[in-house]
Amino acid sequence: MSKSSLIAGLIGATSLVGLSALGVQAQTSGEPVKIGAIVSVTGAGAGLGGPERNGLLLAEKDINAKGGIKGRPIKFIIEDDASNPDTALSKANDLIFGQKVQALLGPSLTASTVAVGGVTHANKIPQIAFTGIGPAVERERKCVAHVLPPQRLNATALLEYAKSIKANKIGVLHDAGYGNVVMAELRPLADKYGVKLVAVEKFEIGATDTTTQAAKVKAAQPDAVFIIATSATPFRNVKQIQITQPVVAAIGSSSYEYVNAMGPAADNIVIPEFVVGEDPLPHQKAFVELFKQTYNSTPKNYEAAAWDAAHIIAAALNKAGADATGEKLCEAMKAPYTGVLANYDFSADDMTGIPLSSFIFSKLVGGKYTRTPFRITQ
Amino acid sequence: MNPRILLWLAVGLVVWAVIPFVVPRYIADLLVFTGIYTVAGLGIGLLLGHCGIVNLAQATFYGLGAYASAYCTVMMGLPSVVGFLVGAVISMALAYVIGRPILRLTGYFLALGTLALSAIASALFFEWDWLTGGTLGIGGIPKLDLFGFLLDRPSRYYFFVWIVAFACMAVARNLVDSRTGLMLRAMRDSSTAAAALSIDLQALRTKVFVVCALFGSLAGSLFAHHASFVSTQSFTVDRSISFLLIPVIGGATSIPGIVVGALFVTFLPELLSKLGDIHQILFGLALVAVVVLMPEGLVGAFGKLRARLAKRGGGNG
Amino acid sequence: MTLSLVLQALFAGVTNGIVYALVGMGLSAIFKGSRVINAMQGEFAVIGAMTTVLLLTKAGWPYPAAIAGGALSGALVGAFIEVAFVRFMARKNASEDSFLLLTIGLALTLSASVLFFIGRDGHLLPPLGGEGVLIILDAVIQFHALWLIAIGIGATLALRAFYHRTTIGLSMMAASIDADGAATTGINVGRMRTFTFVRGGLLGALGGILVTPLIGVDYQLGLNLTLKGFAAAVLGGLTNPLGAAVGGLTLGLVESLAIIGISSSYKDVVAFSVLIVIMILMPQGILGRAGRRGG
Repeated sequence: MSKSSLIAGLIGATSLVGLSALGVQAQTSGEPVKIGAIVSVTGAGAGLGGPERNGLLLAEKDINAKGGIKGRPIKFIIEDDASNPDTALSKANDLIFGQKVQALLGPSLTASTVAVGGVTHANKIPQIAFTGIGPAVERERKCVAHVLPPQRLNATALLEYAKSIKANKIGVLHDAGYGNVVMAELRPLADKYGVKLVAVEKFEIGATDTTTQAAKVKAAQPDAVFIIATSATPFRNVKQIQITQPVVAAIGSSSYEYVNAMGPAADNIVIPEFVVGEDPLPHQKAFVELFKQTYNSTPKNYEAAAWDAAHIIAAALNKAGADATGEKLCEAMKAPYTGVLANYDFSADDMTGIPLSSFIFSKLVGGKYTRTPFRITQ
Repeated sequence: MNPRILLWLAVGLVVWAVIPFVVPRYIADLLVFTGIYTVAGLGIGLLLGHCGIVNLAQATFYGLGAYASAYCTVMMGLPSVVGFLVGAVISMALAYVIGRPILRLTGYFLALGTLALSAIASALFFEWDWLTGGTLGIGGIPKLDLFGFLLDRPSRYYFFVWIVAFACMAVARNLVDSRTGLMLRAMRDSSTAAAALSIDLQALRTKVFVVCALFGSLAGSLFAHHASFVSTQSFTVDRSISFLLIPVIGGATSIPGIVVGALFVTFLPELLSKLGDIHQILFGLALVAVVVLMPEGLVGAFGKLRARLAKRGGGNG
Repeated sequence: MTLSLVLQALFAGVTNGIVYALVGMGLSAIFKGSRVINAMQGEFAVIGAMTTVLLLTKAGWPYPAAIAGGALSGALVGAFIEVAFVRFMARKNASEDSFLLLTIGLALTLSASVLFFIGRDGHLLPPLGGEGVLIILDAVIQFHALWLIAIGIGATLALRAFYHRTTIGLSMMAASIDADGAATTGINVGRMRTFTFVRGGLLGALGGILVTPLIGVDYQLGLNLTLKGFAAAVLGGLTNPLGAAVGGLTLGLVESLAIIGISSSYKDVVAFSVLIVIMILMPQGILGRAGRRGG
């Protein structure tokens, strides 16, 4: 798509969804307000970083169309960390000390987030990470907010769904990275829910075949199977060896990229997540429409998370002043915020405040997401 | 000593000392990484250049050093120096124990042996998350404190890292110039002849492997205190492969070549990433170009060019 | 542990083993003909599979034609690499290590190119023999996997016959064992090396197309396949494509038996430890000295 048609599409979309109620595009002028962003566009985390970059670029145009930051345009300087925490650290140093950004968005992966947090925390640079809160050290970093749920919440959502379908014996298939982290939270919670983990099988990141692990899960005769991974392989293998029990997947495999790679095996998988582009919740409609108009594709969770992060920092800047940074900007950020992805509260202990009620449960039918009526009430 | 060389050394020293204060912070940060990669690459260079061994396991020792430092300082609250020592001792012991059997292999079999070692270590780093923190890693590793002087920014840490790097280069130089180095080269060029002279191949190669592991571990500890954070992603087989590139690009037999190689792998991806998403293709092509056009590495190619220019200059004069 | 579980593990082990074997055979065929360890053998598989996917879905070719096109693309890339890089370096008497690094560089470039030009999505191809499965004692194996096993065995035998029965095969072997000697008997050593790469590319691409219905293809698959294929080839003694097939099967079976016998967490640890032990105890490869004579 050419630049002019992109802009035309954007303007069309904004007026369509009534983002500019007066029908006049607000003009921004003056020195841009610079915000740094680090995402994984290449490497293992590319499935997250690519969508996040799209969300950020869309948000940048949206914020500027609505008057920017007190009349000044906002500018996101987006860097790729190639899914490598060392590179993320170098990029953060460049953005903060070289380009003098006022705040930092990202990175996409937990390891990079913890690495970058060392610099932002020490230098009091506000950061909004596209990850859930990670290891213990992040609890001290009160200026690193998170726009995705902590893994404990993801684990709880899986168990809530299991409870709703009366599955008491659960088999788990998970990878050694993301899966391991969620699993560590899931084990203690399972007891609380009266759920028995009858088989827990692990496979390495990038595994091309997990049939044998799936067979062990099958042999344990569970009521339902959890798959916690960032690849399509285990989903295909589970169907190949004819496991017929319900399959529930963690949010990590919720992107179209993985669902397309699952082929026919995707059918009937249930995912606790936040955005179903085919059938958005009322407060998500404007964003979904704008995204579809601009990119000609349907957004998912990571696009929405980046969009939210961009608007959160813009709101904080509008509150604290366009030149605000450091603790002043941090304080402005520490408030409840109703986003597209979820209802946040950054003054919460986990630096995200997402409630279980923000989860929706989607089911894949013919390679498309459908929203199920099940929600968790708190 | 030749006064001209002395002059050049003095100029080099001044430039080295001034650089971190005049460049932007992120360049200083990259120079710190260059120093760390130089230390790790030196060991691989010794094995490759003087023993003809392709070592694809350096990320293992790098990881051991980093985890030793992280665990000792964060989990046990011990002084940083303990982390450095524990990492070094474990790495050297491991290199000795597995070096004896593995180094009996030759050529590509040995390369695969070290690759397998790296894959095993990487899997264990993921698996033993009580020790390594797994994917979440260990964060909050303290910055080094040198008698009350906190090395908390790249421009300060730069000096510490590079002094360690120069010390390692001196150790490497000594090893190469010693009787051991002589025997190593004899063994690389003709192992049958060396065996006839009753040189104990195994013992020699194991010795260099242990030194290589020591350098890898030191680099890992330096990295842990710089990044303040370690996780499994930094110690995979991919990292072992990129470490191997350092001596190959710079020139395996030349010690300054290692520095050039380390500069190449730290700065080139950074420069190319300014060109957008195509940067990884360009890095691959740059690597191919170096291998095809400069088989002796950048330093070798530079030496050849200088020789050619000198020859031309001499002919004219 | 039930019999059905063991059987399922065996099915998975043999299927994966054939995948590793196909890549390993390509690696050792190239090594045999050129003394080059080809670290981009897995990329040949990705190129072949991706081309087939594009021809099938974007250009709308019939499946057999798309497969032929994919295989041809592997052969062409193989020829290009020999003519553009390997020949030039061989003339300068480059060392074995620099050939290894050349192919590592090419592997990085190709993988990044697939990501840049085609995208990061994974793709599947339709299985041969449809979606049907064979069920024995509750253990399931796809018809496609059975096809894969049959084709793998066929390819191994064909390769063996090629080296021993055809003039060009014998010439290729001669050119690789003693280039100067072969040249004096009138063998065009350079052209033999080009053929070697063409065949390596063809074999790699075909392997990639065949495994895609089972494991899917994306831009990151290459390195993974190369590592496992390298292990299979070295286990088999490196110069012996038949050995690579045995090596691949061994690796696949060790992996899946480790999962049911020990723990899925330690699969890689067990598989690679066994690999090291075999290399130390059997330095000539699994087939021993006899296998080294060539396959």
